[in-house]
This record gives sequence, C-alpha cells and structure tokens, in this order.
Amino acid sequence: MKRLESKLNTASAEFQANAAHNRKLVEAFKTMQHKVRNERPERDIQRLKAQDKMFVRERLKQLLDPGTPFLELSSLAANEAYEGDVPGAGVVTGIGIVSGREVMINAGDASVKGGAWYPLSVKKTVRALDVAIENRLPVVHLCDSAGGFLPLQAELFADKYYAGRIFRNQCMLSKMGVQQVAIVLGHCTAGGAYVPGLSDYNVIVRGTGAIFLAGPPLVKAATGEEVTVDELGGADMHTSISGTADYPASSEEEAIAIARDIVAQFKRPDKTRIEWLPPEAPYYDPAELYGVLPRDIKQGFDIREVIARLVDGSRFHEYQPAYGKTLICGYAHLWGYKIGILANNGVLFNDSALKGAHFIELCNQNRTPILFLQNITGFMVGKEYEQRGITKDGAKMIMAVSNSEVPKFTVMCNGSFGAGNYGMSGRAFDSRFLFSWPQSQISVMGAEQAANTLADVKIRQLARHGKQLTAEDVAAIRDPVVAEFKRKSSAYYSTSEIWDDGILDPVDTRNALGIAISAALNTPIGDPRYGIFRM
Amino acid sequence: MKSPVNPLPGAAVLETSRSRAANWPFRSVLIANRGEIAVRILRTVQALGLKGVVVYHAADRKAPAVQMADQAIEITGATPVAAYLDAKQILAAAKASGAGAIHPGYGFLSENAGFARAVAEAGLIFVGPTPEQIELMGDKVRARAFVAKGGFPVAPSAIEDDDPATFAERALKVPFPLLIKPAAGGGGKGMRIVREAAQLRGEIERARSEGQRYFGDGRLYVERYIENPRHIEVQVLGDAHGKVVHLFERECSVQRRFQKIVEETPSPALTPELRKRICETAAGIAREAGYRNAGTVEFIFGAGGEFYFLEMNTRLQVEHPVTEMITGKDLVLEQLRVAAGEPLGYTQEQVTSQGHSIEFRIYAEDASRGYTPTTGPVLVLRAPQGEGVRVDSGIVEGQDVTAAFDPMLAKLIVTGKDRAEAIARADRALAEYALLGCVTNTAFLRRLLNHQAFIDGQVHTGFLDAHPEIAAQPELNEATLHKLLAAAALVTRPMRDVADLVPDMHAAIGGWSN
Amino acid sequence: MHHAFKLEENEYNLELSRAEAGYRLHLADRTLPVSVNLHLEDDGSAVLTVNGRSEKVLVATRGDDVFIHLGGVAYQLRYEHPLQRLAAQSQGSAEDHIRAPMPGSLVALHAKPGQAVARGEALLVMESMKMETTIAAPRDGVIEAVHFAVGQTFDRDALLLSLVAAVVEGKNS
Repeated sequence: MKRLESKLNTASAEFQANAAHNRKLVEAFKTMQHKVRNERPERDIQRLKAQDKMFVRERLKQLLDPGTPFLELSSLAANEAYEGDVPGAGVVTGIGIVSGREVMINAGDASVKGGAWYPLSVKKTVRALDVAIENRLPVVHLCDSAGGFLPLQAELFADKYYAGRIFRNQCMLSKMGVQQVAIVLGHCTAGGAYVPGLSDYNVIVRGTGAIFLAGPPLVKAATGEEVTVDELGGADMHTSISGTADYPASSEEEAIAIARDIVAQFKRPDKTRIEWLPPEAPYYDPAELYGVLPRDIKQGFDIREVIARLVDGSRFHEYQPAYGKTLICGYAHLWGYKIGILANNGVLFNDSALKGAHFIELCNQNRTPILFLQNITGFMVGKEYEQRGITKDGAKMIMAVSNSEVPKFTVMCNGSFGAGNYGMSGRAFDSRFLFSWPQSQISVMGAEQAANTLADVKIRQLARHGKQLTAEDVAAIRDPVVAEFKRKSSAYYSTSEIWDDGILDPVDTRNALGIAISAALNTPIGDPRYGIFRM
Repeated sequence: MKSPVNPLPGAAVLETSRSRAANWPFRSVLIANRGEIAVRILRTVQALGLKGVVVYHAADRKAPAVQMADQAIEITGATPVAAYLDAKQILAAAKASGAGAIHPGYGFLSENAGFARAVAEAGLIFVGPTPEQIELMGDKVRARAFVAKGGFPVAPSAIEDDDPATFAERALKVPFPLLIKPAAGGGGKGMRIVREAAQLRGEIERARSEGQRYFGDGRLYVERYIENPRHIEVQVLGDAHGKVVHLFERECSVQRRFQKIVEETPSPALTPELRKRICETAAGIAREAGYRNAGTVEFIFGAGGEFYFLEMNTRLQVEHPVTEMITGKDLVLEQLRVAAGEPLGYTQEQVTSQGHSIEFRIYAEDASRGYTPTTGPVLVLRAPQGEGVRVDSGIVEGQDVTAAFDPMLAKLIVTGKDRAEAIARADRALAEYALLGCVTNTAFLRRLLNHQAFIDGQVHTGFLDAHPEIAAQPELNEATLHKLLAAAALVTRPMRDVADLVPDMHAAIGGWSN
Repeated sequence: MHHAFKLEENEYNLELSRAEAGYRLHLADRTLPVSVNLHLEDDGSAVLTVNGRSEKVLVATRGDDVFIHLGGVAYQLRYEHPLQRLAAQSQGSAEDHIRAPMPGSLVALHAKPGQAVARGEALLVMESMKMETTIAAPRDGVIEAVHFAVGQTFDRDALLLSLVAAVVEGKNS
C-alpha cells in the first residue's frame, strides 16, 4: 500500500481559516459535553450525598480498568429536548474495559431527575443493548433509577421499541450466551426491577439498593400493607430469602469490586480473525483535519485528505482510481485492522454507484469490515442520468449496503443529504456504529433547497387564488423554514434524537473506530448473500 | 543457592594437621549444637578427615549442618531448645554413632560442668576445659573471688554469698550506679542497672526471681556499673601441658539488651601498651587456673583506661572468627588439637596479628521495633562474596526462621588491611546480603557502620541507646516507594493478570475517552 | 483505587495497567501514571525499570507477602485484595481478633471460650526472647475461641484469641 500524498498547503490562508473555525466548533462541543457530563444543580449533588450515593462518573471510574479507553456513546442525547433539563438523557452508555474484557456499560445517572427514564433515556438504553447484541458485548448495568417519567409515559411505554424492548434485548443477550451483570445501586422499581431480574448476575448494595415491582407507597395503596423499603426489596431479603439478588455488598465501592470480580469470570470472546498488521500512526497529523473541513458546507474538498489523517501510515490502496471518481473506494489499515473505505468526493453518478456496490461485494468476499465516510448531497438527477439508469444503480448500491455481512461503520464527516445517506450506510442500514462530526449536517435535502421548494409550492398555491407576493412575503415564508431545517439538520439535533451514536471530535475518530472495530469482531462474519440487483 | 564456601584461615595448616589427626584418640566428633556454629565446627572436622556427626531437632531438619554432616541423628524434646539441652540423648547419640569426642559449641551445654563430667564418664573426650574449670568460671561469684585473689583487677562489688544478711546493706555502699547480676547467669541475661538507692531493694527482689526462673539459681552479686563502658575480651588458649597463650583481644561494645551485635579486632580504644597489658592479664588469669582449651576473658574497660575482670567464658565464642582472621589460626582446629592431647607447639611471640577484622551478627529481628525477633521463611538467600568477606551461615534457602531458637542467623566477618577498609568492605557486603522472607537487621547494621561515631571508633555498650536514630526506620523516599510498589504490583497475580488481559490495542490507546 | 499494599504501617492504594510496552502504575496521590516493567533474569534476580531507569532487584512472594531486596535493603509488603479490604471495612472486625505483637510462645492463659471479659482485663501472657508480655482485652466482650495452648509457639500476627463479633450499627461506606 502506498502512502497518500497530501496536496494541502497547511500554511495557506484558507487552511488556517478552516482550522480556526473548526477548532472553535470543537471547543464549543467539548465545553457542552463537559457541562452535560459533569455539571449538576447543587441540590442534586447534595441529594446524592445525603443518600450515600456516588456520582455516576465516579462509579464508572471505579468500575473500569485503569489506563484503558472508554468510548462513550451519545453523550449529548436529549440536548435539544425537554428544555435541556435532562443532560445525556439521564443515562451513560459506552464501551469500556472491565477486568480485561470489552463490555457495554449501561449506567443510570441518578443526579438527573433521580435517574428517571424519559423517552430518549429508553431509546438510548435500547440502542446500547442493540449494540451489545450486534457486537456480542457483555453488559454491566448500573441500576439507579426513579422509574419511568410518568408525564411522558405515552412516549416510552407501549410501542415496540419503547421500554419493553430493554427487557426483550436482555433476554436475547442471555439466549446468545452474552453475559450481563447488574449492580443495584438505587431503587429498581416496576419495570426497572427486571434489569437485575433478567441479568445473569446481580449485586445489590445494602441500604440503598432495592428491587420491587412496586414500592411501599404503591403497595400500601394497593393492598393496605405497610412495609419498609428494606423489608420489601432490600439487599438482605433478596440475597438470603428470595434469591432474586446474588451478592450483597455493604457499600457501593464493594459492590463495584464484586461486579469486577464477576466480569473476571466471564469467558472471553472468540474474536473473528480478519487481516491485521501491527498498527502505525497516520503519517499526516490528524489535527490537520480541522483545516481540511471547509467552513461552508456547500464547498467541496478531497475526502482523501481525511482518509490520510485517519489510517495507519496514511497508506491507502485505491480501487478503480480512474472510474466513478466521485466515490473513493479502497483498502487501508486502522489500528492494524484491514478495512475497506467508501468516501464521497461529490455527487453519486451511475459509475460511482456501480463502483460502490461492486466494492462492497469485494469487501464481503474478502471479509473486510467497511468504513463509510459521508460527505454526500445525493445522487445525480436529470434526464440523461435517469436514462442511464441512475435509479437502478442507486438501488444496486443500497442492495449491497443492506445485505453486507461484514461489519459496517459510518462517520458523517460533513453533509449527509437525501438518498446518498442511504447508499452510504446511514442509520437505517445497520452500521454497528455511526458517529457525526460537530459541523456535519443531515436532512432529506439542503435547507435552502427545501425552503425554496416549500416557498415555491406556497407561491403557486396563492397564485391560483390570484394572490401576488412581495419579496418580504416570500422571505417571511422562506426564512422560518430555513431556520427550522437548519436546526433539525445539525449534528446536535441528530445526536439529541440519537440518530447517531455520538458526536466526535474529528481527531478522536481514529481511536473511536479502533475500539468499535475491536468490539465488532466478537461476532462471526457470515457468508455474503444479496437480493436481486436490478441490472 | 548454597552459601559460598569461605576459606578458613590457615588452610595450609589444616592440610598438615590432617596427617596428625589420623593418629588422634578420636576419629569422629559429635557436634552438640546447631545453626552456624555447627556448620563452622563441622567444616574443620571434615577438613581434617574426621567424621562429623550432628544431632538435630526436627525443627532443624533442613539446616545446613544436618545436610553437611557425615551422620545426623534426630533428638527430641518438649521444645526444640530442650532437645539440645538433653544430655542423655546426646550421649546416646554419641555412643550410637561411635563418636570419640563431643564439641559443645557455645550456649546450650557448653558451660555445663555436669555434662562435661558425663561425657568424660562415658569415655568420650569433651572438647573444652575441665569440668572443674567450667564450674569455677561458671559461678560468677567464685570466678570473681578467684581472679581477685590472683591479684588481677576486679570491679568494686558486693557479693551476696559473703554474707547474705548484709547483702543489701553492703550493696548500698558500692558506688552507684550499680549492676545487679545473677551469680549463675551469663551472656548478658538477667542483669539490672540500678541508679538510685531507693530502687535497690525492689530490683534485688526482681533480679532474684528472674535468676531463679532462668538459671535455676537466685543468688546475686552487685558491681559498680561503669557508665558507657567498653567491653573488651581476650581470646586465650591452653593445652593439656600447662602452656597458655593469648590470641589478642576483641572489642564487643556495640550491644543491645546486653547482647553483642558487632565485634572487632584490634580494639580502636587500645594503645599498644594497653593492648599488651590487657592481653597479658587475661593470659595470666587463664594460666592461674591452669586453663585448658579455648576460652575468653571478658573485661569492662572505662573511659580513663581502667579495666576490670567481668567474667570468663569457658567455651568457643560466637565472635571467634575475627581472631582467626587476624592471627591466621583456625580456633576449632586448635580446640581439637588440645582435646587430642597435642601441645600448642608455638610461643606467645609466634602469635601475631595482621590487619583489622569486624564481625556483624545478622539477627532475625526488627531493629526499629525494639529489636523484637522476627520469623518467616527464607525464600531467597544471597550471601556476599569478595575480597576479605567471610559469611558463617546457619541457614539456607528453603528453611523457616521460627521463634523456637535464638534469632542469630549468620555472621558476616570482613577483614581489611585497616579499620577503614574493613568498614568499607562491610558496607558493600551488607548491601549485597539479601535474605527475603524474614526481616533481618542488615539495613540497621549498615546504618550503624556508617554512623560517624562508629567510624571514629567511639563505641561503648550504651552506644545504641545514645544514638536511637541508628535503630529508627529511616523515611522512605518517594522514588524508592514507587519502585517497591511497582515491583510488588508486577509480581502480584490478581493485579498482573487483570492488566495482562487488556487487549493490545486498548493497552496502547491507554486512558483515553472521547 | 482498588488494590493496596501495606508497607510498615502505611497503606498505599494503587492500580496496574498495561501500556503499549510495559506497564503503568497508577497511584492514589498522583494523576500521571508511572511507567514500570519487571524483567526476570535466568539467575533468579530481576530487572526493575521505573520511568526509564533500571536496576537489579530480588523479589520473592509467599501468599500475600511480597519481599523485595532493592538498593541494599530488604522490604516487605503485604497485598490487600480489594474484596478482602472492602469486606473487612464493613465488618469493623479489628477488635474481635487478638493477634500476637511479636513471635513467641504462650506462657499463661487467663481466658476460656464463653468467658465474659472487660476492657483491659489480662487475657494471656506470652514470652519472647525472655521478655514477658501481657495481652489485655481491647474491649468488653465474650471470648469466642482460644487458638493456642500453653507452651505452643507462634509467629507475629498469629491469631491468638477471638472475641464474639460485636454487632455493628449502621453501614460503613
């Protein structure tokens, strides 16, 4: 593999301006992330102290192996929902190392509304367990929740992928032989009681932990029985009488130490073997990514400059370099693992769509995981292209993406608009992990385009009724649409809704992908099988 | 790993003695002792071509002497120490092994006149003085009287035996401070310092009860206590034909709880003239008693150069090696020769000293905790080697140090052309000496020999009390602490295994988070 | 910081992690880990490297005890497994176990199982190198068991006597 040659002039004014702009964006992102992770109202901190509970970050620090990486998922979930009052959706999820094993962490954050489950909290948890299922990752649950957030129960209780899915996923993990351990650090009430109940192992803290289908107030209301929390579902009752809990602990610290010892008993996964070479840092400095990404999303750039700052030694074997040049395809190594890369350098034409489908098949034949680097405005439109069969060719690419057996990973590097999102393995296409960069945007079409389209419809509608519009009237119709579109296509909105697994500082992408690939290899890679490619 | 073999002094002399030893009245020697002295005696016995037999208690099964001996016979007792005090068993073992002589070492039965007699009565040769000489010098009161009668210097005192009724009264007249000593005691045990007259009667009572308990004899005597005295002793040797020589002195002032820790020769406190006087005094005392075999005359030496007879030990002493190193004589060989009836064969003038030798006793004890004895397995033992370094060891890797015996594990003897060279060699040797599994006093001994007062030769029996910083545990510096924690963590399985399980990539990424 | 070693009277919390080459030592009082490695030689000694500086050491272990000879001095550390340490914390059991302050032998016994004792009451007399030490009850309580008989020898820290466990009010954390 030959090293990519960067054609950038890092001293140029353009590069410097981009870099300054993107660094500022990243800083804003990091500041917000820090706030969401750590800043809490004083009364919530005091409440935790009074209850003898540790803050969730402190619990994780004790749980995870020292000197090992933690890839947190969807840290900014719910940042644009519930008036921003539920940072991280009250849940911390991510992939970390416990007793030498890669595990999925699902931790309730009791400092946020007592750890109550909002609709997005449920979605985040279900997503974490889906990741665990797809990647066969053992799960450590840190249970500390006040239960479902009742005012929004209609959005979290009844539907297929709402709260029940958490417990269904737990059962699937168990059936697959992927272990779970739950640490009961607070109350596990009603549905929440099933988290430890469905875990293969669980630990419960004496005095603060409790498991019951209904708490004392509900019991009193239902049957008139008066009973204390401990009598009803405390550590000693469940570990010595009911057998619902396995290990009593006198403190959170002890409970976490016991959980670590339990994870140490788990059999380690058989890793799927793929091509691998000893890792090497990229030749070009990943920090230069800030200068590569343009300030204006409409401006193009060579995506190979991004690849060069992600992969080992900046080495890349390009496939079909002269054909379908708006889609860059090729092989590289990342943290040693061999991967195939599909990356956009413009709109998708017939040839690029065909090239993409073909390359995906090659990767499946080769058992090579695929990384999609998205910067796509869509497929080419127009009479010429329709006659050439752009719809068919787009369909073939989507068919290949959907039926790919090798693990897929997607990074929204810049724009992700329209069906291009689909062809490039967007959320619906089961990438094992999907991340966004802070300046990226995602929507069915660009904001301006959408505003113009909607305004156009309105203008013609009014014209049929004989109404004429001034420039101000047009602006009054267009501008709110643009604003709304812009808001709902930002990476922050996307991550708030958990359309992705988190925003990443571009410089962190390499480590995140390395950890993601490693996790993905717990699952065997099946033989490729596709549906019909419309020829 | 075996302890290194140290060349005994006068190896050439040993060679020539072999042929003579073939004609000795005994062909095999039973060593009624243990630990390092049993090894020491065995080496000379075997080097002479004689058979070495050792008795041992089960607790000493893995001891080096037991492994080295030509024959080892197990003895039993209510306690391990009791076994080595069991004269009957020892004599039976001698008979069973056909040993012609018994060497009692030091401690245990070495100064038990009854045992010496029993050995003779059994038709065996006791390697040591006559029973009468043992009795004379064993009774500290009789010994004092004998020495005083001979015109040799003794400390002002009051002897209970002279008139028990007036003892306490006479004791009061002895200049204070004074030392109450058990008549049947020795080796520094059971003594009490009294500084105020008001305490005297109470201390007499306590001393009496301890003397009764430990030595079976409650008789006492008191002596003027010389503050911060130096303890100087002289090695003497007499043959069965009336010839007595001295083999120079040893300074044994560095002590704790009246037990010696460091001994050296020559004494840094003596002028050549004083040296001659003390040594000749000792030889005179031995001659007066018609002393036979090896013995040591101990003196208390005051700051003004005055010295008084303290006691005479009628046995080979722990610290004999330093004398061997400067005189080139193998004292165990001399003992066996005398026991075999040979004449000394050399004059006093022919006994010369060269260089400076220091012995450091390596104890299983924690100097920083009041020298409390320590125990533990000897997991690793590495003894130092090199020019002028001799290690007389009573333990090997794989043994357990228990509370059953005296905590002395080994002796490090360093010799140099002068005191400074000996000290430098000792520092290096003690640093190299590694015993893992049981706390020893080697670090303490290094602090001791690096103390300015020791380097200046300004030692006395109160030296360690006067300089408590020597025994105190030094502060651990951060760099050393980190090294210790690192090494400990890396050999501790629960810590090491968990670290080793982390996959390579995650280990390389380290503590990163997005 | 879960793991700990006891050295002299101090307890040090620490963690060990693997680095790309060698290991890292994480200490409670420092944010940056220390890079460390230990390489065993053929002759039984080892080479310890801390932050790039190497030296020869001797290391031996027996159970939880680690013995190290470093820079001419021998040290002894005792490992405390996190589960042991955390379980002990919650029981407050220090006063229920009476251990020997030094090695020695039992000379006299003044207590038997089932006997009620008051704080400060003499329980036994032990002898070590001709020094006698009386051991007294650390608190009011009842003797649960006596583990040695008169005449027997024991090592330092040997469990001589147990008191019936006192009821601990509330929970430690």
